[in-house]
Amino acid sequence: MTELTTLTKDGPIATLTLRRPEVRNALSVDLLNDLHARVASLGASSDVSVLVLTGEGRAFCAGMDLKAVVDDADAALRLLRSLADLTLSLRALPMVTVARVNGAAIGGGCGLACVCDIAITHADSRMGFPEVDLGVCPAVVAPWLVKKIGAGRARRVLLSGGLMSGAEAHALGIVDHLAPDAAGLDALCTSLTTRLATGGHLALLATKELLNRLDNSIDTPVLHAGAELSAAIVASDETRAILRARLKG
Amino acid sequence: MISFEPVGEVAVLRLDRAAKKNALTPAMLRDLVARVAGCASARAIVLSGVGDVFCAGFDLTLAKDDDGALAVLITELASAVRALRDAPVPVIASAHGAAIAGGCALLCACDFVVADAASRIGYPALRLGISPAVSAPSLASVIGVGPARCLQLDPGVISGEEAARLGLVSDLMKTGAECEPRAIVLAAQLSRKPAAAFAHTKGWLNRIDPLCDDRSSEDGLRASLAGVGGAEQRRLLAQVWSRT
Repeated sequence: MTELTTLTKDGPIATLTLRRPEVRNALSVDLLNDLHARVASLGASSDVSVLVLTGEGRAFCAGMDLKAVVDDADAALRLLRSLADLTLSLRALPMVTVARVNGAAIGGGCGLACVCDIAITHADSRMGFPEVDLGVCPAVVAPWLVKKIGAGRARRVLLSGGLMSGAEAHALGIVDHLAPDAAGLDALCTSLTTRLATGGHLALLATKELLNRLDNSIDTPVLHAGAELSAAIVASDETRAILRARLKG
Repeated sequence: MISFEPVGEVAVLRLDRAAKKNALTPAMLRDLVARVAGCASARAIVLSGVGDVFCAGFDLTLAKDDDGALAVLITELASAVRALRDAPVPVIASAHGAAIAGGCALLCACDFVVADAASRIGYPALRLGISPAVSAPSLASVIGVGPARCLQLDPGVISGEEAARLGLVSDLMKTGAECEPRAIVLAAQLSRKPAAAFAHTKGWLNRIDPLCDDRSSEDGLRASLAGVGGAEQRRLLAQVWSRT
């Protein structure tokens, strides 16, 4: 296993950390492959009640690493399919997942936060879905945001683009618990995960499984169709021109 | 009936029957559908109403001596809701003053809704024996099934402020006069986003929401039509005419 992620365990609480801090933990094919392997190993960890997903450095996850795929439509599709599959396998994990949004959570990064059962951050983090501003269609993350905050609010968030503070994300329901500042996030995370781990392990897992069934979480055809739609838009001339200008600037 | 004013790349469509508080007729609703279709070159649509009130609902005087009129109104309303939701550009409503019954149904089809804190919003048509079910799928899509149940079944109206709390209103203003200008500013902002990505994202959000599909729309329409012309609805409507 490369060093793009780390997985640590402390009793019933596991922590999965994205480790590409030099690019704000942007999701590349390699990082996604690492995450797939980690999530697969966690699926068999019957003793883990809580998984914390977080990022090393100042960002949680800056989203898809589009630089590598802007000129290669096939690579873009592979990247987006990989993200779609990761969201599905992360959601299907038996344990409760907590997104510890330590800093920027942008686009696909904010999508990962929505896939987790519970998301926490601090008031000053930057979150959101600027995809439409870049000419990109956030079709992979859209179903997860809809499940998290409802279709009406998700529509406004995704069609508005832009970014918001952690406090605003909390007000919208994208984030469930809010620390007043970055320094307070550890205490919030510890108290939450400790609380989650004190409940009945089997009852917790059974409840999560039911919730996944209630909202038809594992809707693979929709996620795959979303990856294809999103990749098709990325491959369009309009979007390529915007992305090239932004990524070089 | 529906006036059109281009403001830059924004098409401002106004229900234009201020003397009747923009009460909806079948012809107005058909005109609205045609206007939305005719906005192909616009980059955003604002749906507003002339005067102090966005829309007081159906013009029920049409139904006084014509049993078929109400069914036509409900059917045309469903088409208008559909046209607004399927428009590939952002649609922003200015719900100043009031958005009652059919007017509230139009809001549910818009991507963003600006209203004043005192605006009156809801479905009091239930008191007349008219089911707002035609609007139920799109309302539930916007605010969730739980809150939609309350708003659909309670014939009272809520304030713009309460509607903002529920998520039906996205931008809350202090006065009705501020609503349309704010809607136009918001529309202009949204109109500058890359058009194809916007259209595909809106289309995708419609597609992944079962409450936006044909079956839900048809279910809602059928439920509203089922009560039309029945004894209860005739009796309750007749009471309105006897009071006026």
